[in-house]
Amino acid sequence: MRILLIEDDAETADYVMAGLRESGHNIAVARDGRDGLFQATGQDWDLLLVDRMLPGLDGMTLVRTLRAGGIETPVLFLTTLGGIDDRVNGLNAGADDYLVKPFAFSELAARVAALGRRPRRTAAETVLRVADLEMDLLARSVQRAGQAIELQPREFRLLEFLLRHAGEVVTRTMLLEQVWDLHFDPHTNVVESHISRLRGKVDKGHAVSLIQTLRGAGYSLREAAP
Amino acid sequence: MNLRRLVRTSSFRLTLLYAVFTGASFLVLFAVIFWSTTRFMQHQIDITVEAEIKEVRTAAGDGSIDNLRRAIESSTKQAGGFYYLLQASDGSVLAGDLPPLDAVPGVREWVEPRRLPRFPKVDIRGRGEAVDGGGYLFVGTGAHEVHELRESVAQSFLWGLGAAMLLVLVGGALMSASVLRRIEAVSQTSRDIVAGDLQRRIPLNGSGDEFDHLAVSLNAMLDRIGVLMEGLRQVSTDIAHDLRTPLTRLRQRLELARQRPPDAQALHATLGATLTDIDAILSTFGALLRIAQIESGARKASFRTVDLSELLHTVGEIYQPAIEEKSQTLREDIAAGLSVNGDRELLTQLFANLMENASRHCDAGARIELRARQTGNAVEVVVADDGRGIPADMREKVLQRFVRIDASRTTPGNGLGLALAHAVAMLHEAELKLGDNAPGLRIGVRFAQAAESPAQRG
Repeated sequence: MRILLIEDDAETADYVMAGLRESGHNIAVARDGRDGLFQATGQDWDLLLVDRMLPGLDGMTLVRTLRAGGIETPVLFLTTLGGIDDRVNGLNAGADDYLVKPFAFSELAARVAALGRRPRRTAAETVLRVADLEMDLLARSVQRAGQAIELQPREFRLLEFLLRHAGEVVTRTMLLEQVWDLHFDPHTNVVESHISRLRGKVDKGHAVSLIQTLRGAGYSLREAAP
Repeated sequence: MNLRRLVRTSSFRLTLLYAVFTGASFLVLFAVIFWSTTRFMQHQIDITVEAEIKEVRTAAGDGSIDNLRRAIESSTKQAGGFYYLLQASDGSVLAGDLPPLDAVPGVREWVEPRRLPRFPKVDIRGRGEAVDGGGYLFVGTGAHEVHELRESVAQSFLWGLGAAMLLVLVGGALMSASVLRRIEAVSQTSRDIVAGDLQRRIPLNGSGDEFDHLAVSLNAMLDRIGVLMEGLRQVSTDIAHDLRTPLTRLRQRLELARQRPPDAQALHATLGATLTDIDAILSTFGALLRIAQIESGARKASFRTVDLSELLHTVGEIYQPAIEEKSQTLREDIAAGLSVNGDRELLTQLFANLMENASRHCDAGARIELRARQTGNAVEVVVADDGRGIPADMREKVLQRFVRIDASRTTPGNGLGLALAHAVAMLHEAELKLGDNAPGLRIGVRFAQAAESPAQRG
């Protein structure tokens, strides 16, 4: 993926750049808002990583300007710790996702992967399928190897999210935000409990476990170990 | 208070403007009085003169020039306060005590430069008319009263104007001085605050005037800033106190790892543990900032009607698996259609924290209850458990930051969960109370005012 990182803090920029290069991405850096806007409009990017606070032109204005100019490149906002209104404001300005600094690199990598895939999604799918697991979004039914699985509404949403991101790493925070709309970190293992419940319904009695736990990173729904 | 400052005040400038208007209105008044009194006097003179002419003509009988001459000569001798003149058609004076005039009929007034024998004043106003045989008759009288009156009116006007201006200026200066004094009190207070005396407040004079209103608003603002600053100071102190311990522990761990012989596996384990520690510190740090932000009240601007019943069901649903995993049970008793005015995200966090607190501090087999109902206008949510509970003397304290029952701090948690819940409740003007569930802990959150639910609004 071709990624433009707009970040004024040299240390963060180096850290993010090195990590994303290692994951095989092609990454360039802009050190301030003006340069960032210039580069973002001048070339074709798959993803923009934008710091909220930038010299020259702040991240919010930058994204708003891009969107006003019809540039729909996905934007991931990097906000500082504690700005509890930043998320809403950032998403309102036209960003696609946000991440609070300091973040774990695995979290960033998962979100970058999720955003990079987004524009390639075709017209609304009605059936999601991985191996012998099938979800019918219209009938709101799930079956594995031909056998129907009963799911609670929230379990359905959880599985739907995993299916939509099949093959990718989905972090705990992503699940909290997308499935339960929780924007803080509960200390209790709520996500683990829900996943283990879902696993009991989806994977129990089958030779292949589809819902996999990736230690320190999150979860992934896939057919075989990577 | 020096004079230059006084003169530069806006109220003094207003006074000057007022003085100009007062002067102008005085001038108009003067002109009207001047004109009307003069007119009145002149009219009186004209009537008197008219009557005298009639009398002279009556005395003259048939109106011949000779008879007129005789009548005027006798009137002149009587000295009734009039001047007379009778001229023949060639302009020669036949009778009277005035020098010859141009034979112009009608009212005329002039200043006689030649001194006249009987009157020291030389202003004459009178009326002339033609008489039979081409002669000219003029009867006039001294018009000095008109001039005297004019002078006296002008003089009283000047005195009046002077006195009024003086009053306006003195009044204005007094007014400005009083305004300036109030303003000075405000600026003096501001300067004191800038200089570091943060407890200073603007004095009120108790009159309830606009300055008192301003002072009340400014004082309220200062109080609010004081509270916010206190919050900030509190956060800094908390961070200094409570983050020092984990940071020190972290440092020790790293130091030990460096002293030991390099062993890749051991180092890797140390790194893992270090990351966990750092995450815990960051999470504490984040929670502290969040509490401070909630306490600042900024979120109040985005309050809207929140479906509390739905929110509580969601929170229950989120925690149910985790609770059941600990072999505890969750029982929900939530009335339908409860709504409050608030911030959805923060309210979710408030009740999530209470659920978490209940589950964490209870052993396996505990029963946790989540209840909500409306009584009158108030909505009360209760999270109760049958665990160990909190001793009565500690119930207030655990709402403060970093206060934990378990002083050894071996149970997980950063001691901020209830503090955060409390901050959210305060923001929503809800009362958060810890009570005895006999056995166990009962935490009630009481919203004084239910919001109209969308369903009720219909």
